[in-house]
Amino acid sequence: MSTQTQTRGKGFSPGQLVRRPETGSLIGFVVVYVFFAVLGGPVFLGAPGWSSWLNIAAEVGIIALPVGLLMIAGEFDISVGSVVPASAMMTAMLSGHYDLPAFVGIAGGLGVGLLVGLVNGLLVTRTTIPSLIVTIGVMFAVMGLTLGFAVLIRGSTSVSYVPDPLTKALLGQFINGMFNVSILWWMGFVAVFFFFLHVSPLGNWTYAIGGDRESARNAGIPTSQVTIGLFMASGFAAAFVGVAQVMTYQTAQVAGGQAFIFNSIMCVVIGGVVLTGGAGSILGIVLGTMTFAVVNQGIFFASLDPNIGSIIIGALLLTAVLSNDTFRALATSAATKKKAG
Amino acid sequence: MDMIASLLRKPASAAVLSLIGVIAFYVLVGGVDLGKMMGAASWVNYAARIGIVAIPIGLLMISGEIDISIGAMIPAGAMTTAIISGHYELPMIFGILGALAIGVIVGTVNGVLAVRTTVPTLIITLATLVAMQGIVLAGSKLLTGSASVPLNAPDWAKTLFGHLLFGGSHQVIIVWWVIFAAVFWFIMHKTKYGNWIFAMGGDKDSARNAGIPVDRLTVLLYILTATSAAFVGMCHATLFNSAQVSGGMNDIFNIIVSVVVGGVLLTGGYGSVAGVFVGTLTFAIVNKGIDFTAIDRNWSNLIIGLMLLFAVALNEFFRRAALSYAPKRKTAETVLKPRVKEA
Repeated sequence: MSTQTQTRGKGFSPGQLVRRPETGSLIGFVVVYVFFAVLGGPVFLGAPGWSSWLNIAAEVGIIALPVGLLMIAGEFDISVGSVVPASAMMTAMLSGHYDLPAFVGIAGGLGVGLLVGLVNGLLVTRTTIPSLIVTIGVMFAVMGLTLGFAVLIRGSTSVSYVPDPLTKALLGQFINGMFNVSILWWMGFVAVFFFFLHVSPLGNWTYAIGGDRESARNAGIPTSQVTIGLFMASGFAAAFVGVAQVMTYQTAQVAGGQAFIFNSIMCVVIGGVVLTGGAGSILGIVLGTMTFAVVNQGIFFASLDPNIGSIIIGALLLTAVLSNDTFRALATSAATKKKAG
Repeated sequence: MDMIASLLRKPASAAVLSLIGVIAFYVLVGGVDLGKMMGAASWVNYAARIGIVAIPIGLLMISGEIDISIGAMIPAGAMTTAIISGHYELPMIFGILGALAIGVIVGTVNGVLAVRTTVPTLIITLATLVAMQGIVLAGSKLLTGSASVPLNAPDWAKTLFGHLLFGGSHQVIIVWWVIFAAVFWFIMHKTKYGNWIFAMGGDKDSARNAGIPVDRLTVLLYILTATSAAFVGMCHATLFNSAQVSGGMNDIFNIIVSVVVGGVLLTGGYGSVAGVFVGTLTFAIVNKGIDFTAIDRNWSNLIIGLMLLFAVALNEFFRRAALSYAPKRKTAETVLKPRVKEA
């Protein structure tokens, strides 16, 4: 990755541009956006359209970033689907049910995410069980704990909480009545993860772990710590979305959040991250998320049957992975030719 | 002692221990009425529903692949039957064949994509899962105008696929499950095809070099998983006289959990049909048997999660015991890949 950034700095070449992993994602986004712009008309092109898909993109996008990083490192996190409602429930329980200050509830909610991430990370690094299975197990356990405690303490599956104006403004306000403030948070997350993956040495470590874990460990990379850290990051991001949901909708539900599991994976894969690890970029993940959100929301503006949206997303997913295959083959073959010459 | 040790090295042993553990837990903590629970139909019906799909998924996982599109195939099978025989009032046989055909088509698409591209099968089947959900919903709205279609199956179809046994509440699908399990057990552990599937999961390239038709077998396994899911959907439509478009997302994880608790290795090359059968029973008892205990139903997911992690850890332990046991008897040769043929 670092070599790619360096070569790009030296000059502009169309060949290199085509071989960049994000090119396919960018083309996909443009095609999808133009398609829905034609069908959806000026409403979709205006503020209502932008706000509707950006709101969706922000929610999924915050989770998709660390999920993508984990995938670059060769791991999965299914448990995000249960962390979103669990942290929302914790926040609403602490601040709504027990009337504690908002920051206690927020800290509690985020703490749930970090704790679940730590458990995931420890189980994955200390045992030989694949992370897909570990996080499915943890997902079920967290789902059970959330439902069990909600019914035990509150006697119902939903808890409401009215945040004070400052907290609401920071985490759950609609700017202009349309744009959710979480879009700004998403941009913040993007900046932080961009720095992490593409600037700091930790990013290279992540690629190395995904490429070959054994070699990475032999090269002195603390693979276990990095993996645990990445799982905690994805737990934290999912918890953040849960907390933001409470502040926005003023209620926490036990169910829900399941959709985030596959949606975040789809955003990441459409964005060009390779499922088996070792390749991918933040820009790609962001483009993948935006593409997903445009299809998801554009379908309503295009006055098509909403179910056609999932057909499009399925087709898009396949096209994305198949073209990634081609792009990667191009990139690797181009590199070998240069060396041989 | 030797016999116990060799029993413990079977892939199904952790599943059996999990089953015993769960029942012991329900008896000791939940105060379950065992006689009442064993006589009840709810958990057996549920086990049959996921078990029919879990067995081919287990085979697929042994061969080193995964299929999550089954989550959309159960409602797809139900919907196809109901649309053809319910909405268009064609003879029932067309509805049944239509449902199975949908399974064959989607399975072929999955399989061909899996062997022709280098894309991981989790992503391929995720794409077909999402696409099929959309196609089923949009298709049923387009053709019938609603997301729920009634179906009046003739008597013979009811008897075969949708009846209740002995006038009680056990569904006839249980019989199908047992037949499926017996047939697949025979194929997997008594014929060369079973050996081929184990070989594919162990090392695909070596299997191909040994002359095993890896590609054809992979496509066939995908057809089996999708068709069995469509079959379950068809049975349900026949039983309940209607088909609804439901998520089916839960089925995906429930089936994978059943297979993994049953001792199948996610990375392939290890597992058994008996193990998957017991794993499915265990899952169904945890999920539905909890109603017969004093434990609040809301905790069932917690138990499933902990049981999964516990069973997988146990599986790992036994598998390692099995692998480290073999070299000692022979020479000091280190065996890295499990080459296990379960009988």
